[in-house]
This record gives sequence, C-alpha cells and structure tokens, in this order.
Amino acid sequence: MRIDPNIVPNLLAELQQSQVSLNTALQQVSTGLSVNAPSDNPTAAAAMVQNTIESGDLDVYTQNVSTALSSVQTANSVLNSVVTSLTSAVSAGTEGANGTNSATDLQALANEVQGILTSVVTAANTSVSGSYLFGGTSTTTPYTANAASPAGYTYNGNTSSNSVAVGDQNSVQINLPGSQIFSNATNNVLGSLSSLVSALQSGGSLAIQTATASVDSALNYVGQQQVFYGNAETQLNSQETFLQQDKVTLSTQANSLIGVNMATAATNLTQAETDNSAALAAVAKVLPNSLLSYLAPPA
Amino acid sequence: MGGLSTALLIGVGGLDAAQGALDATSNNIANVNTPGYTREAAQFSELPQNQSNAQITGGGVMLDGLDSIRDELLNVQIQQQTSLQSAADTESASLQQVQTYFTSTGTDITSALAAFSSSLVQLSGNANSSAAQQGVLAAGQNLAAAFNNTANGLTNVQTETNRQIPDTVSQINSLTQQIAQLNGQLAQLPAGQDGGTTQDQLDQEVQKLAGLTNISVTKTNNGETIATGSGTALVEGNQSFNLQTAAGPSGLQQVLDSNGNNITSTIIGGSLGGALNIANQVIPGFLSQLNTLARQFATAFNSAQTAGTDSNGNAGAAFFTGTSNLSSAAAGISVGLTSAAQIAIGSGGSAGGNGNVANLSAALTSALPSGQSAAQSYASLVFNVGTAASNASTQSTAIGDNLTQLTTQQGSISAVNIDEETANLLRFQTAYEAASRVVSTVQVLGNAALNMGSGTSF
Repeated sequence: MRIDPNIVPNLLAELQQSQVSLNTALQQVSTGLSVNAPSDNPTAAAAMVQNTIESGDLDVYTQNVSTALSSVQTANSVLNSVVTSLTSAVSAGTEGANGTNSATDLQALANEVQGILTSVVTAANTSVSGSYLFGGTSTTTPYTANAASPAGYTYNGNTSSNSVAVGDQNSVQINLPGSQIFSNATNNVLGSLSSLVSALQSGGSLAIQTATASVDSALNYVGQQQVFYGNAETQLNSQETFLQQDKVTLSTQANSLIGVNMATAATNLTQAETDNSAALAAVAKVLPNSLLSYLAPPA
Repeated sequence: MGGLSTALLIGVGGLDAAQGALDATSNNIANVNTPGYTREAAQFSELPQNQSNAQITGGGVMLDGLDSIRDELLNVQIQQQTSLQSAADTESASLQQVQTYFTSTGTDITSALAAFSSSLVQLSGNANSSAAQQGVLAAGQNLAAAFNNTANGLTNVQTETNRQIPDTVSQINSLTQQIAQLNGQLAQLPAGQDGGTTQDQLDQEVQKLAGLTNISVTKTNNGETIATGSGTALVEGNQSFNLQTAAGPSGLQQVLDSNGNNITSTIIGGSLGGALNIANQVIPGFLSQLNTLARQFATAFNSAQTAGTDSNGNAGAAFFTGTSNLSSAAAGISVGLTSAAQIAIGSGGSAGGNGNVANLSAALTSALPSGQSAAQSYASLVFNVGTAASNASTQSTAIGDNLTQLTTQQGSISAVNIDEETANLLRFQTAYEAASRVVSTVQVLGNAALNMGSGTSF
C-alpha cells in the first residue's frame, strides 16, 4: 500500500503536541497547581469557589476569636477586681456594724466605701478599643453620676449584647449589659454600696448590718455573672482549636482539588523534555532524507 | 507484416508516451508543496495489433492522458470533519477568552466574594471600628466591580465574535462565486474526463468553504451542487447564491439566504456555525446565569441591610443598586451607599452593636431564590464555563485526530512522493532513451536498406 509521503505535517503536529505537554508540565511545576483555568478541571474549579470563601473567612474568624477572647478576658479580670473591691466593702461594713466605732471611724469607713463605689463605677465604664464592656451595644458611657438616682448613678447603656461571628453559623455572645451586672433590681451593686455609704455616715448599727448584707449578696451575684465570661472563654478557646483543624482540612482540600503532586509533576516534566527532544531529533533525522541523496549527480 | 515504418511509428509512439509521463512527473515534482494538488499519473494503453496474413505484431503504445489520482469519498469525509473542527476551534478560542474571567486572579468574583464575606466577619468582631466598616464598603465595591468586569468581559467576547460573522459570510460568498465559475469550466470538459487542475482548485475551494460553514455537496451533470446543511442552495452549476447578514432585534447578527429568509439556526458547522453558537447561545447563557446571580444576591443582601439600623441610627438603605434591569444586572450592579456609616450594622432601630451583621453575612450563605447560595450558584457558573471550554477543546482534539487520519489516507492516495517521482523520472528517462534508440536504429536500418547493393565494400 502507498503511504502518505507528507510526513512534515505529521512531524510538526507531533512536535507541537510534545511542546504542549512540555508547557503544561512546566506550568504545573512552576505554579504548583494542576488547575490553572476552569477548563483544566471544571469540578475542582467550582469546588474551589466555596473553598476560597471559607478559607478567607476562616482567617478572620481566628482574628475574631482572639479579639473576643481579649475582650472576655478583660471583662473577667475587671469583674475580679470588682469582687475584690466588694469584699473590702463587706469587711468595712462588718467593721462599721460592730458598735465600737467612733463617729470619725465611721466617717473614715464611709469614705473608704465611697472610694470603692467610685472604683466599681470606673470598672463598669471600662472600654476596650472604643467599645464599653458593660454598656450593652450602646456607644455611650454606661454609668454617669446622677444625684436624683438613689444609687447616685444612671445606666445609659442598653440591655442588648454583642455576638461575634467565630465560625459559619456560630457566634459567641461576648458581653453582658451593665444593667444586669451592676444595677440589677434585686442585686444592685452600685445601689447597695451607695446604701452602705449612707448607713455608715448615719451610724446606725442595724442599718449598717442590713446594707452590708445586701453588698454581700451583690458580691455573690457578681461572682455568678463571672461564670458567663468563664464559659465564653472556654467556648472561644475550643472554637480556636476547631478553626485550626478546619484550616488544615480546607487547605488539604484545596491541595487535593487544584494542587499538584510535585513528584508526579517533576516526572512529567522530565518525560515531556525527553519526548520533545526525541521529536526534534526525529525531525532533524528524517527530513533531509530522500532518494536524491543517493543518486549520482547528472553527468 | 510490418515494415521498418511500423517500427518507426511504434518508436515515435513510445517517445510520445515517455514524454507525456515525464511531463506528469515534472509537474508532480513542481507541485510537491502546492496545497490541494493531486498527483498526476500518465495512463498508457496498447494500440491495436497489426495483423498481416497470419502474422500479428504489436501496435505500440498510446498515451491516454494524465489522470489526477483522487478519492472523492475521502474528500467528502474530510469536508465534514473540517466543518466540525472549525466550529470546535472557533468555540474553543472564544471560550478560552471567556474562562480567563472565571480564573482565580484576585480580582475575579470568587476572590471578591471571599473578601466581602471575610470583611463582614471582620465587622462582626469589630463593629465600632471605622476601618472594619470601610473594609466592608470597599469589599462591596470590589465585588460589584468584579461582577461588572466579568459581565463586560463576556459581552466583549460576544461582540468580537459577532463582528466576525459578516466577514465570514462575505468570505463564503466569494468562495461560492469562485466555485460556480470553476463548475462552469468543468462543464466544458467532455463527460467522464478528469477535471485535473481545475478539479483540484474546486476541491480546494470547497474544502475552504467547509471550514467556514457546514455544507452538503452533490455531483451532478453541471458539476458540483453545494448547499448549506439545511438545504439552502449556495452553488448550482455555474450560478452561486449569496448569503446575507442582518442585525437581529438584540443587535446580534443573523444569517439570511439569498431570498432573505433567516437561516441562522440551521448553520451549525464551520467557523460561522461556531461563532453563531458562541454569540447567540453560549455567552447569552452564561450572561443570564450571571445576571440572575447578581440580581438575586443584591436583593437578598439589600433586604438584610434594610432590616438593620446604620451607624447614624437610620434604617439601612439599599447596599447594592443598578440591578433593576435583569438583562444588565451584572454589568450594572454598584454600591449605593456613599459612606461606611450607612452600613446597617445594628439592629432594633438604634445605632450601636453588631446585631445585624450576622444577617448580612447570612445573605451570602443562605439560599437565593435560585435554590443555591451566591457562592454555589457562582460555582455552578464556573463549572459550566469550565465544562464548555474543556468540551470544545476536547472535541477539537478528537476531530483533529480523526482529520489527521483522513488526511493521511488522502495523502497516501493523492500526495506527491518525491522518491517515487525520482524513481519514475529515471524509469521514463530510460524509456525515452530506449524509444529514441529505436528511432535511430530504424534510421540506420533504413539507410542500410537504401544503400543496399550500391556499396563498394563487397
């Protein structure tokens, strides 16, 4: 059978094919990606849309966790100092109620408790990077002095709370409104301190005892509220661990979707180089050959 | 019985035959690289024998002519595959451009969606930070710009492809005119005679035409009758029928036959078929998916935004605008807010807090009316674009392999082989030399006969 004498187009097609393989192998090795355009693997390219969005979010979730943790930890330590202050107020009240104090002593104790009240108000007005820890979601100073109020201070915040997104469909409440911690109707920290100051100033042992008891009860109440912050801290810490695992999962997924196995890619590159030089060598060898090369030139 | 004159005639006939064969060989060698050339071979036959009494002598050789060696069936198959490949190549080239807009570049919709989503997460953790608020506004603007770029990119490819259509149609018309003319030349030849070079040219033009559109070719007494795939006549005998183009209602080109009937939908092959498919079907499909996504996403996000309260204490205003017209939603989407303070971060009618941020984030992850979330429906668009591009290039490769086989087969029949021609050259050179030796021998013999008896050598 006669064969196609036009080997040039076929040789060129082979050459082109080997160059395409070489380029693909080179691109995969240099980018580390097996999917450089959606057509390389439409399914993987589509799956990467979700993966890209999730891993972008993940980094910020991690930032949010650390911001939230610092806010919760600050709140917790503020409440610790409030508990310490209230404990001193209770000792001051107990001392004032034992009936052996002079009017000067009682006034000194009243001044001490007044100082405690001021420091608790300062604590309740703590802000972290512009947000008040105990103002609900309000941006105004939570407690301001108000002579008309029995406690001497009014609450300007609201009763809402902020929740921070720390995962898909997962957010953690990071604060309690000040009205719940410091000026609650049943266990009013500021009110009870204020009453104790008045009781110490007026000097009646019974009144001092009653006021001390209510400060003590407020002290216990604040201790209970601290549990919320402890829980939030635990929740945030475990979420941080989860996010780290999720990050590994997502990057593993991304790698298996569009990444390239370097060993395979390097082997492919070597193979493509060999194929390409073989094709080039074949072209160089075959093309110049014809019957004419073997005929004696015409005499 | 034959005399010397018979031998002379036979010798001259041999010279003619060898001369004709050398002509064919030299023409073959000269045209070795001419596209569409089919090799010629001299056809010899024996002349009738001479019978004189009981003696029979050969009558010599006759050169019947130079035949071009071709296989019409293969030509038809090659034309069909060429149409298919040309369509797949045109589609593949356009889709390669299209898919660059869906490749992860940092400014594509995937990256913009990811940045927008994480800016909202950031806002959730830092609701009062003006940097975080600005971040959401900027990421929203980038997302709108990514939608705009992708939609404009698709439209540009569509416009560019659409612009090629009138050019392709005018190429088709000029080819059909040439084919009709060649048909006319072929009709002059006696029936049954190979068309030779004219037929080569005709085949070559038909081949080019097949690359532009899908055609059907039938051989008739008037030469080749060529019609489009749906039967609209392009060439009949020495007459050609021009196609026309006209802008359709949506500004896209339509192809009309010579009577003005719209035959756009029947053109499926060749670069014209590929371009029509891209401009009229494929890109509009992607655009409509993108527009639906842009509009539904904007609506969902706006309703989350208007349910909240901005930093000034006002009810949230629409975040995204420009999507009211569905057919230009992706190209038109933009951010309607003028300052970051207008982002509805709070809830419950008062500023402060991050009560609404979770709702804004949820607009990105919850299902749109299409049944998929924004990311999912964009992912399915990426999948569609990727599949279309990959299919077109796979198809082009597969048809290319097929076409290579057919071309090789055609080459094995019709192409000039230099080695073969060189061997033939030697063969016909020898035959010519031998035939001329016959003539010179007869001459010597004739002289000898004329001088018989007059010589002095005896």
